[in-house]
Order: sequence, then structure tokens, then C-alpha cells
Amino acid sequence: MTTMEAAPPADAAAVVVPSRFGRRAAIQAAIIVVILVVAMFVLPALTSTFWVKNFTSAAVLAIVAAATGMLYGRVGLVALGQIGLYGVGTWVTMRLGFATDWPYPVLILVAGAITAVIGVLLGLPALRLHGLYLALVTLMAAAAFLIILANTKFPTGGPGFRGVVIEVANSRQMRRPDIAETDYGYYRYALVVAVLMFALAAAHLVSKPGRAWASIRQSEAAALAAGVNTVTYKLWAWALASFMTGCAGALLAGHVGSPSTFTFTVEQNIILMAVVVMGGVASLWGGVIAGLLAAVLPEVLQDWGFSSNWTLILFGTGLLTNLLITSWQLDKAGIKE
Amino acid sequence: MFNTSQLFPFLISGLAFGAVYAMSGTGLLVLYRTTGVLNFAFGAIGAMGANITWHLIEKTDWCPDWLAYVACVVVATALTLFYGVVLAPRFANRDPLGKMLGTLGFALILLGLMFNLWRSQDARVFRLPTGTRRFEIFDSRVTWTQVVAVLFALVVVGGVTVFLRATKTGTAMRAIANDREIASLLGVPVRRVETAAWLGSGVLCGIVGLLLEDLFGSLDMGTMTFFVIPALAPVLIAQMRRLWVGFFAAFAIGVVEAELNASNWDWPSQYRKTTPYVFAIVAVLWFARKRTVMISGRVTR
Repeated sequence: MTTMEAAPPADAAAVVVPSRFGRRAAIQAAIIVVILVVAMFVLPALTSTFWVKNFTSAAVLAIVAAATGMLYGRVGLVALGQIGLYGVGTWVTMRLGFATDWPYPVLILVAGAITAVIGVLLGLPALRLHGLYLALVTLMAAAAFLIILANTKFPTGGPGFRGVVIEVANSRQMRRPDIAETDYGYYRYALVVAVLMFALAAAHLVSKPGRAWASIRQSEAAALAAGVNTVTYKLWAWALASFMTGCAGALLAGHVGSPSTFTFTVEQNIILMAVVVMGGVASLWGGVIAGLLAAVLPEVLQDWGFSSNWTLILFGTGLLTNLLITSWQLDKAGIKE
Repeated sequence: MFNTSQLFPFLISGLAFGAVYAMSGTGLLVLYRTTGVLNFAFGAIGAMGANITWHLIEKTDWCPDWLAYVACVVVATALTLFYGVVLAPRFANRDPLGKMLGTLGFALILLGLMFNLWRSQDARVFRLPTGTRRFEIFDSRVTWTQVVAVLFALVVVGGVTVFLRATKTGTAMRAIANDREIASLLGVPVRRVETAAWLGSGVLCGIVGLLLEDLFGSLDMGTMTFFVIPALAPVLIAQMRRLWVGFFAAFAIGVVEAELNASNWDWPSQYRKTTPYVFAIVAVLWFARKRTVMISGRVTR
């Protein structure tokens, strides 16, 4: 009689986790540690305050880019409105920062949580959409939000809901954490928060939500048939991306002190998507590349004597090249999206 | 809330902007249905054409004005055809989103080029001959550009409707919009028909560039480039297929947006520019309320 019981392994060593995986993970961890040590201690020692500020911007934008890339590459949701949520995070942080004495980490978490709630509220109806329609609706929602933001303006320490001071001379700058009041200190602080955000995203990607997102991205119908609660997991992804973006917005508030509404434009949404695609959406490292491209490349070009307008041409060319290469690869493999 | 004596001038202005939305929407919609490409570079191409027109009028002494206006349409058509014939076929295996991202890259390149070429030169304004001639109706000044915009939108949408129904190329376009592969199997010259759609869209792009410059009163490259986003609102309301629904939606958006400016209260006036987005988002979510997940894995709206 046949039995369904599995035969015991002939050799106990056969069920041990393959050593190659362990070695690979160890090498990856070592590379990450080396990069972090260089970014945290060597880079500030070698560069001026100007460049440290740019690297702080890169760390902040890397979080937004990683969130956008995660939604696109891992869940198949295209959000062209992340800059709007980024603005929400900044606004909430500034309003609470002027109104309370809460420690900065609490401000970051609260800003992230409120942005996540707003993101979910916006995302809930939008999740009925897919592909092009979702991209356009998120872009339009962001465009509408940015008009509201331009009229509401960022708080400057005044009274009322908006917290805007009427006389410009009396306007205040957003405070920074006590341990990171200098530009160098704030750079390290932003880097630590960015690492935590990336760790949060990575933890999701290698666990149950990550597998559910992968199945949704592959085929929503198949994911439903396999018992995946697609609505919950899509909202989860939306909430996580919004939370990360809100936290990045909170970091921006302390970084620039008095942000301008001109930082948050529809154009920035488009540029963000371009650098996210250029950086790559298959891995979280793409977010790091995208952050560097968006924040550091324009300054590098200016340093070399080129107008920063060239970055638009570079981003457009990069986006087109990336799409052409991936289209060629799809063509070669005989795949049609 | 509203100052009724101010309603009429804003109505005229709203109809003119509605007409530009309608023309842009028609160009975007027909191209999308025929080729599957939502041309995000529509505004950037129009802006490039308009800036070249300004350059020819203001920076050269050999070019007559009429030739400069023609140059706007020619340049816009050439750029659109370049993208449609050279780049777009390479994205044929991509989904509509991938195809749109390609046009987005093209828009960024054009915007960067315009900034490099002309941003340092301020006061870039030219007026169409119709923009300087006015007449009065109900104590409101109306420019001929506003009249031309409304009439031209009517002609364009009516003409495209007739073209799609009565001509061989139009029938081929409808066949491709319905099912590209079956149309191809039935012998429809897909590439040639697509080129015709790109050509028509390019011509509209140039005309919209000229009208926008005259209606806005300036050549702000960023504003003109990203004008495509509110211009997409009537296309979305038309569910990317109903030309006349898009036409009326365009005028409704233009008029509501302009009339909010006539309000005595601050907030409707301040937030009037959200009108196309609010209209589009509400419409899209309404149409998507009964979504079905298909077996093939594609999701219908």
C-alpha cells in the first residue's frame, strides 16, 4: 500500500539552509554596512555643508522614491501623486511642530500616520482602478491637492488651523531634533530614518504581504482565486507607501525649515516617476539611485557649469532609454504586457 | 455669492478655455483610441511650436507673422510625427501605461530644451491678429481669438465625427480602436492609419499651442506643458471613447472654472483651478463603481 507520508531525508545535512544563501546574505549585509558607514561618516568628512545638504535631500527623496517604486514594481499600482502626500507629511509636521513640544521622532511618526490615513482614504476608491486610469486619477488628485496647498501655504508659527503668520518678519522656521541641529547632524539623522524606512519596506517585501503583493501584481484574478484578500493587501501597500512618504515629508520640514509650495509641483510628480523608473523598480536600491538622481545630479551639473535644466533632458532621455530597453527585452522574450 | 454683472465676461473666457480643452481632448482621444498612446507630450509639443513662433516673430526680421504661425503647426506636427513614427512603434508591446510613460519622457526632453533655449529671455509674448481685435457684447469685451477658439472646437469635433464615420481612413481608425489585431488580420494598414492619427493630433497640437499662448497671454513653458493634465479631464469623463461627451464636458469644465472666478467669496476663486480634476476624479470613480476582475487577469474599470 502506498503512503502519503514523505520519506525521511537520507542525510540530515540535506535540510539545512544552503550555505550559499547564508553567504550571499552575509555579503549583502556587509556591503550595506560598508555603504552606510561611508555615507554616515566618510562622506560628511570629505564634503562641504552645501553637498551635505544635498545628500540630506537625496536621503529624504530616496524614501519617497522607494515608496513609489515599491507600489509600481512590487504591487503593480502606479501612483503619480506621491508628491502631494509628501506635502501632507511636511504640512502636518510643521503644524504640529509649531503647536506642540513633541520630540521630533514622535512628529515623524504622527506625520507618517496621518499621511497614511489620508493616503488610504484617497486610495480606497482609487483601488477600483488599474493601470493608466489609476495613474491619471492619482496625478489629478495630486494636482488638485497641490493647488489647495499653494493657497493654504505652509504653517509659519501663526495661530489657527493654517498656522500662517500674517507678517513675514514674524514667521518662524521649523525646529530640528535636539541631537541633530547642525546640517551634518541632521544629515545623519535623515540617513538613520531613511535606513529604518527601507528596513520597514524590506521586511514587508520578504514576508507575507510581499508575497501577496507579488501575486496581485502577476494577476489579480489568480491572486483572488488563491485566496489573497486583494483589497486588504492593496490598501496595506498604499498605507505603507503613504506612511513612508509622510515620514519623508516630516524630514523635509526640518531640513529646509520653511518649505516653499513651489517645491511641490505637478512637474515634481512627473520627475519623481522618471527617476524611479530610471533607478529601477525591481529593488529598493532603485529608490537610493532615484534619490541621488533627483537631488544630487542637478547640483553636480551646475557644479560642472551646466544649467540644471539639462537634468530634465537627462531624466526624459533616461526614462525613454529605460522603456526602450525593457520593451526590446520583452520583444525578445515574446512577451506582450 | 456671485456678482451677476461679472458673469458674462467670465462665461466668454470659460467658453474659450473650454474650446481649447475640447480641441486638446479630441486630439488626445482619437490618438489614444487609434494607437493606444495617451500623448502626455501634447502640451510640450504645442509649447515648443508656440515658442518657435515667438522666436521667428521677435528675433528674426525676415519671417512674416503668418509664416511664423504656420511654423508653429508645422513644428508641432513634425515633432508629433517623429514620436509617432520613430519611437511609438518601439513601445508596441507595452501596456497603455508604459506607452504613456514614453510620451512623458519625450515631454521632459522638450521642456528641458525649451528652458535651455528660451527661459532666460523674459516677456516672451506674441499676439495673434485675432487677439488684438475685439468687439463688445452685453458690455463685455470679446476677442476674436475667443470666438475662433469656440468655432474651431465645433468644427474640429464635428469634422472628426464625420471623418470617423464617412471616410475609409476613419472607418479603419474605428476598426483599430475596436480591435487592433482583428483589424490587422482584415487587411487594415495599421501603421499607415496610426500615422494619420499622429498627423491629425500633431496639427491640433500646434493650433492649441497658438490659441493657448494668446488666451494665457504668455509663453510659460511649464504651464503650457502641463496644460495636458487638466485637458485630460474631459477625455476621462468621456471614458476615452465618447467624443461628444468629452466636447460638452470640456465646455462645462471651462465655464465652471471661469465662473468661480466671478465669485465674491475668496475660496471658490482661489480653488477654481481644481475644477477639471474634481470633475474627472468624480466621473472616473463613478464609472469604476462596478468593477469586474476578468479571468485573463486584466481588470475592467
